[in-house]
Amino acid sequence: MFIDIDCSQVKKYNQNAFGDYFVSKRFPDESRLVAVLSDGLGSGIKANILSCMTATMLSQFISNEQIPIHKAAEIIMNSLPVCKVRHISYSTFSAIDCYDDGNAKIVEEGNPDFVWIRDGEVMSPQFETIQSKTFKNRKLKVYKLKFKLGDRVIFCSDGVTQSGLGGGRLKLGLRREGLINILKEKLTQEPEISSSELAAYIVHQARNIETDRNPKDDISACVLYFREPREAMVFTGPPYHQQKDSEYAKMFWNFNGKKAISGGTTANLISRELNIPIRMDTTISVGKLPAISFMDGIDLVTEGILTLTKTLEYLESGELDIDNAAGKLVKFLLDSDCIMFMVGAKLNQAHYDPALPIEIEIRKNIIKKIANILQDKYFKKVTVQYM
Amino acid sequence: MDKKISVKVCLGTTCFVMGSSNLQELIDTVPKKYGDKVDVMGVPCLGLCSIDWEFSKAPYVKVDDDVIKEATVEKVLKAIDEKLSL
Repeated sequence: MFIDIDCSQVKKYNQNAFGDYFVSKRFPDESRLVAVLSDGLGSGIKANILSCMTATMLSQFISNEQIPIHKAAEIIMNSLPVCKVRHISYSTFSAIDCYDDGNAKIVEEGNPDFVWIRDGEVMSPQFETIQSKTFKNRKLKVYKLKFKLGDRVIFCSDGVTQSGLGGGRLKLGLRREGLINILKEKLTQEPEISSSELAAYIVHQARNIETDRNPKDDISACVLYFREPREAMVFTGPPYHQQKDSEYAKMFWNFNGKKAISGGTTANLISRELNIPIRMDTTISVGKLPAISFMDGIDLVTEGILTLTKTLEYLESGELDIDNAAGKLVKFLLDSDCIMFMVGAKLNQAHYDPALPIEIEIRKNIIKKIANILQDKYFKKVTVQYM
Repeated sequence: MDKKISVKVCLGTTCFVMGSSNLQELIDTVPKKYGDKVDVMGVPCLGLCSIDWEFSKAPYVKVDDDVIKEATVEKVLKAIDEKLSL
């Protein structure tokens, strides 16, 4: 299973920093994902620092696997200081540690209970309570769960459940029931909705309930969706040993998922080995990037180094809607969950000619950077194979 | 002469940065000048820079089977004219 995760947030009205903090880390080698959502006391910079510290520390503790998640959470619960004015703890948190097979552990302290939806119904899982030894009013909820294909888990800060509090229509705010209604309605309309869209929808709806759409607290929603992965493969660069060309070309062809080729020589190689003619797009792209080509059975064919360099630039800057070869490659990558790069190690000596612009990078380096950003910023599962 | 002349402009990485991005205008201008006697197209890579790298002469254009090194619009048009006058 693939775990599609994303978080959407808005700041409290008139604040310039988020008071909630979300952090997520994927470990492709262990098929594991760790995510933490923390809500800092108050709002603005102070809350930002509090929640950021709590979330990053908890995420570090869990990721390192030196202590189990409930121990890590207990230590943090017991050590969080108390605000002198309000006499409550400095931050609240929810954390999940889950694996691709659906096994997961969740801990919660102070945040609204998460919502687990299976086949359109809200589940009420069993949990264990750990009472803080140092603070009477702090309790940790620990869940040990097994998720199935199609399950959704929604974490949110109290900014969501308390949205609209004291306003006209909902005097007690949206509350958990209101959130569940919103979720059920949206999931009936769009059963396949992605996590990023659902998270954005929840935040949008919570904000709409607030008077004048001005949030009285930071609003955050984090959604996990367990689903079949959308697989993709990018073949770039010719293999180091030429006699392996046909083997790799067949492997590429037999791959069950979307396919892209990045590189002129690479496209020729696949065309030769698999006997698929190449047609070039007739669009002229003066001074920009070489146009894309077309090959039957392959979803995207682009030039190599220049397009990849530009793709990395777009992924870094977040400009995602551009009509050129790199823009198309960005869309190809972001529309997939598991991306495998097959990177040919053969060098083209001509690329090392000092007369060429300095921007011509080494393929392996660009792919490494693209893989990192896809993993860290876009939460994709990326594997790189050199050949 | 019945057979069409084929012109292939290499749009691989080396050729593109060494000037074939400007040669793309041939895709527009040549059909206007020669009508359907000449066929111009871009190709992903002619694979010549990796053979000829010691004396890199990119960008490359192929007019039928003849390779034009360090191609310019003028050189390509001249080559087409020569072919047509044969």
